[in-house]
Amino acid sequence: MTGMTAQMVFLAFFGVAAVWFGIVVFRTRSMVRSALALLFSQTAIGVMFLVMQAEFLGVLQIMMMATEMSVMAIFMVMFMMDPGGMGEMNMTHQKRLSLWVGGIGLLAALAVVLLPDWGLVATSVPSAQAQAEDLGRELLSRSMLIFQSAGLTILTAMVAATMVAIVPNAEQRK
Amino acid sequence: MTILIVLLSLAAGAYFLAVIERWAVHGHLSLSGPAWAALALLGRESVLARKPDRLFFETGPVLLLVAGLMAAAVIPLAPGLIITDLATGALFLNAALAYVLVALIMAGWGPNGAYSMIAGWRFLGQFIAYAMLIVMPITAVAMRAESLSTTVIVTSQAQLWNALYQPIGFVLFVIAAIGLAWLPPLDLPDATGELAGGVEAEYTGVRLAVLRLGRLVVILALAGATVTFYLGGWLGPWLPPAAWSAIKTLIVAALMLSAGRYLPRIREERYLALSWKLGVSLALANIFLVGVIALVVPI
Amino acid sequence: MILELMIALSVGAGLFGVGLYGALSQTNLVMIIMGVELILAAALVNVVAFWRYLRPDEPAAQMFALIIMVVMAVEMAVAFGVAIARFRSRGSVEMEEARELKG
Repeated sequence: MTGMTAQMVFLAFFGVAAVWFGIVVFRTRSMVRSALALLFSQTAIGVMFLVMQAEFLGVLQIMMMATEMSVMAIFMVMFMMDPGGMGEMNMTHQKRLSLWVGGIGLLAALAVVLLPDWGLVATSVPSAQAQAEDLGRELLSRSMLIFQSAGLTILTAMVAATMVAIVPNAEQRK
Repeated sequence: MTILIVLLSLAAGAYFLAVIERWAVHGHLSLSGPAWAALALLGRESVLARKPDRLFFETGPVLLLVAGLMAAAVIPLAPGLIITDLATGALFLNAALAYVLVALIMAGWGPNGAYSMIAGWRFLGQFIAYAMLIVMPITAVAMRAESLSTTVIVTSQAQLWNALYQPIGFVLFVIAAIGLAWLPPLDLPDATGELAGGVEAEYTGVRLAVLRLGRLVVILALAGATVTFYLGGWLGPWLPPAAWSAIKTLIVAALMLSAGRYLPRIREERYLALSWKLGVSLALANIFLVGVIALVVPI
Repeated sequence: MILELMIALSVGAGLFGVGLYGALSQTNLVMIIMGVELILAAALVNVVAFWRYLRPDEPAAQMFALIIMVVMAVEMAVAFGVAIARFRSRGSVEMEEARELKG
């Protein structure tokens, strides 16, 4: 054990940032703020990946979430009664139960983290270049079926979501 | 040292762009104009809208500037003259540019004004149109270079520039880049004359200066990306490499800016329909073609 | 290095707890999706931490992280499709008003 390492400090910092922005999501009243807080939580997670030397995944996470959460923000504005959060509306239910369940979930997860013996921990990782190459070979050889079914799932979801959302016929448009 | 050089060249490029943009909008060339305009902006009163979302209002312009700088960080100006040569540079460029959208939504939502809010959300619609056309041509470029690193992408074009190797991707990327930098004819978010300045409507003083500077840096980063991905980056005869990247970047940026002088503005739903129905199919065809060419005739 | 693993996994646990609370306590469909996204993000952090500290030479772990990202995107797309349909027919996506879906 060499005490505090730079990796540890950065991991802790961005981890705290991720959890804190996650809490902000449900505490703020402004819906756009809530969506963007989720974005910054996910971005902090992406930076954590970069700290953990998973460069491709980190950059991918940072890129994908910017798009996803911006779309989330516009849906919030579309569907919420009070998107600006100026009307002081209460949008929660079963708060006590949720707090308990969330707390128990947190404690259980923490127990699972702390109790077992994790065994030997790896100290070095392949370079980012090698990682990207390995991942590509993995995706197109051994895991090809999984990768293809993921692609197919996305396609199905796109078609299904469009079908559900589309106006069935011209008369209903009025 | 490298960082300083890159930042200085970015600043010089941004100034040049400001001169060109002034010429594209007002029609007369003035070398000192942008400097006076910037000074005037710094001296002007910073008006605050009533009941703004202060956090977003302040963060929006800064985030735009940061996104532009991040994107510029992976663009190589010469061999070794790059802030960070990431192994996933091309993807990182995309990630940084995705935050242009976030910054504009924040800047549009923050001041609590109708015009700017419409403009911000409108940019989201525009984003849906251009996003795929930024990513898919870059995929084809990375396929040829067999790497996502921007320096490797440049050296892969030693034989033949990508603009000639995959012209479809080049055209799509430039159109999408014009959309990303919300330049005319795709300048819906600040649609001058229709939305009263759009995102910029409620900004004054220093904040407006930062917003405009951020946009210039984004345009410059996009021009740099076009040069890196399609026009051979620093490669070229006689002149030193850095000079070649500077010349190419500035020419591309000037062309992107002047396109708006000659084309009418395109409505966002037409842009959306065109990019998805025509653009995405062409981009897929481009990926397929590049794959076939790379397998059959390796250059 | 074991401490780094611990920190990363605890962050995952924290995100999981917050996401669980959010998914249960919010009344609006879009907010519930946000809670679910946080839970999935927690899984993502854990998978990447396991890859980094336990099996760095195994690209399948990174592939698994990619699949989780796919799940996040798909979940959002489908949920928003449902939300649009629901909003069009009932005028809101409040979960308290969706009791008739119980059957």
